[in-house]
Amino acid sequence: MTEPAPGQTAVVEQTGARLHPLTPFVKGWGYFVVAAFALVNNEGLRSNLELAGIGLAVVLVGGILLGALSWWFTKWQLTDDAIRVDSGFLFRRTRIIRFDRIQAIDVAQPIVARLFGMAELRMDVAGGGKSDGKLSYFRYDEAGKLRTILLVRAKGGRVAEQQEQQFESEPLLVVPTSRLLGATLLSSTVLGSAGALIWLIVATMVLDFHIGLFAALPLAFGVVQPIWKQVVGNHGFTLSETDHGLRTKRGLLDVQRQTVPPGRVQGLLITEPLIWRLLGWARVELDIAGVAGNKEDGDDEREGAQLLPVGDRGEVAGVLARILPGLDLARIQMHVAPERAKWLRPVGWRYLAYGADDQVFVTVRGWVSRRTSIVLNHKTQSVRLEQGPLQRRLGLANVHVDTPLGPTDAIALHRDQFEAAALVQAQADRAREARRTASAPAAVHTQPNPPSPDGSSSSAASPADDSSAR
Amino acid sequence: MDDLFAPSDVSWTPVSPKLATVRRLNAALMFGVAGIGALVVLGLTVGWTYGVLALVVLGAGFVWSWVLIGRNQRSWKYAERDDELLVSHGIMFRELVVVPYGRMQFVDVTAGPLERAYGIATVELHTATPATDAKIPGLHPDEAGRLRDRLSALGQAQAWGL
Repeated sequence: MTEPAPGQTAVVEQTGARLHPLTPFVKGWGYFVVAAFALVNNEGLRSNLELAGIGLAVVLVGGILLGALSWWFTKWQLTDDAIRVDSGFLFRRTRIIRFDRIQAIDVAQPIVARLFGMAELRMDVAGGGKSDGKLSYFRYDEAGKLRTILLVRAKGGRVAEQQEQQFESEPLLVVPTSRLLGATLLSSTVLGSAGALIWLIVATMVLDFHIGLFAALPLAFGVVQPIWKQVVGNHGFTLSETDHGLRTKRGLLDVQRQTVPPGRVQGLLITEPLIWRLLGWARVELDIAGVAGNKEDGDDEREGAQLLPVGDRGEVAGVLARILPGLDLARIQMHVAPERAKWLRPVGWRYLAYGADDQVFVTVRGWVSRRTSIVLNHKTQSVRLEQGPLQRRLGLANVHVDTPLGPTDAIALHRDQFEAAALVQAQADRAREARRTASAPAAVHTQPNPPSPDGSSSSAASPADDSSAR
Repeated sequence: MDDLFAPSDVSWTPVSPKLATVRRLNAALMFGVAGIGALVVLGLTVGWTYGVLALVVLGAGFVWSWVLIGRNQRSWKYAERDDELLVSHGIMFRELVVVPYGRMQFVDVTAGPLERAYGIATVELHTATPATDAKIPGLHPDEAGRLRDRLSALGQAQAWGL
């Protein structure tokens, strides 16, 4: 990775560049609104418009000045094997992110930035929080170019001549809004909250049961929030494949584009809530190191990269084939938990199962909401065998296959203890074998074929039925 | 019968009995403070009979924890395979962890004041996931140092990106 990249200097100079000059304004508009709101709400100031105007102007100018200072002192540059960001004017900070450590790249456009045609670049690094690799703001096309460079170098390649092409590539799959809305309305959170809300209203009206009113607010939130998150946040969810990995785009107001370079997927989670299962729908999430947030930062630890917010069986199979070519979940023999597990899981024991082949380890569990976790063998971090006192009485044990923080939790629950012990050995062996055979350290295939200029459009065969289904 | 949580194809190293001593001392401190507290509080508010009763209950608890700590200490063991570190521990809640050296992100060696006084240390191997629980307490400082160096060396030799 030490070879000079001649094409690179053409796009960005090596000496350190500043971000978009409008950055302070786009970042600071929120404070301005808050200040304006506070002034409007203040009785004394409302009667004295002149003072209010001056106050607002001070906040505005001060904010812009501070923002401008921070902008002036923030510089970024590309070195031979890393991107370097210097920031801060009182406390200087230099952050260097090596290209080969970048796990995924997001180009996000919050609504205001979008109005100005600007975008923010987020580099997900294992172990880092969400805001750690953030660079905002760029002009949108500039962000796209930089992303391409980073992605090419994250794969360990040189910046080739192909970097100009296909910023927006042919979509593999688009999730229609109607289905997003339907799926959200049929999800257990919304149904449960709505049901409880209706019960509350009835109880309050008919039975004069007034305590309930306090619970109405969180319940109403439980109905509205998932709808907002799903329908607005995932609006127009588009999955496409480029030379540099899988790319998703979503959002109605704030647009998010995420790119996952090949070989960065640690695991997958397929979730099928009860009602979705009847309709044949499922959600697919990816486990990528660094995408799941830090608990301390108040992010959701279980959040992963969405691969498919809701899709039917054909689409799920299609995206799985993209991520793990040659994998057929139906072909993997699943082993169901022994019947004595019913003492610990009275209903759900029937649905506990695990299976493995030389590529993946799969666990299934869940009675109401079915969760299928898939871990790539060569990404296995550690294998654990666990047994509690009750389990020991029944001769059962759990096997955990650990992946970095994320949605995937591959736990083979309540297996026969001898089988479990053998499974730990077998999985450790499989992981070792998979690490050996997965050739070069950098490139492990998540793409079926080596990148070719027309690769994305020609191979979009299997999930193509989606467009007709709309 | 082969122990499920300690496969016999590798040689297992037990941890130092001093671990039990340190933990018992800790327990004695805890139970002692709690016992005296309970005696005084209950004695002054309810009656000294209850205070003494609480003391007896806590004393019994301490004896029980004495036994448990001993059993737990004997259950800790680790083994080094060619590619993996194995750690096994627990009596009530048993656990066996298998961590490939190449997955190591960093190694911690820690020793609290009490542990230092008794000459033991804890080695913990961290991977990219916090779920991995490869901690070996009660090691002689020399052994802890050796293990740390060996783990770092092996981790580097077999390093595997995420």
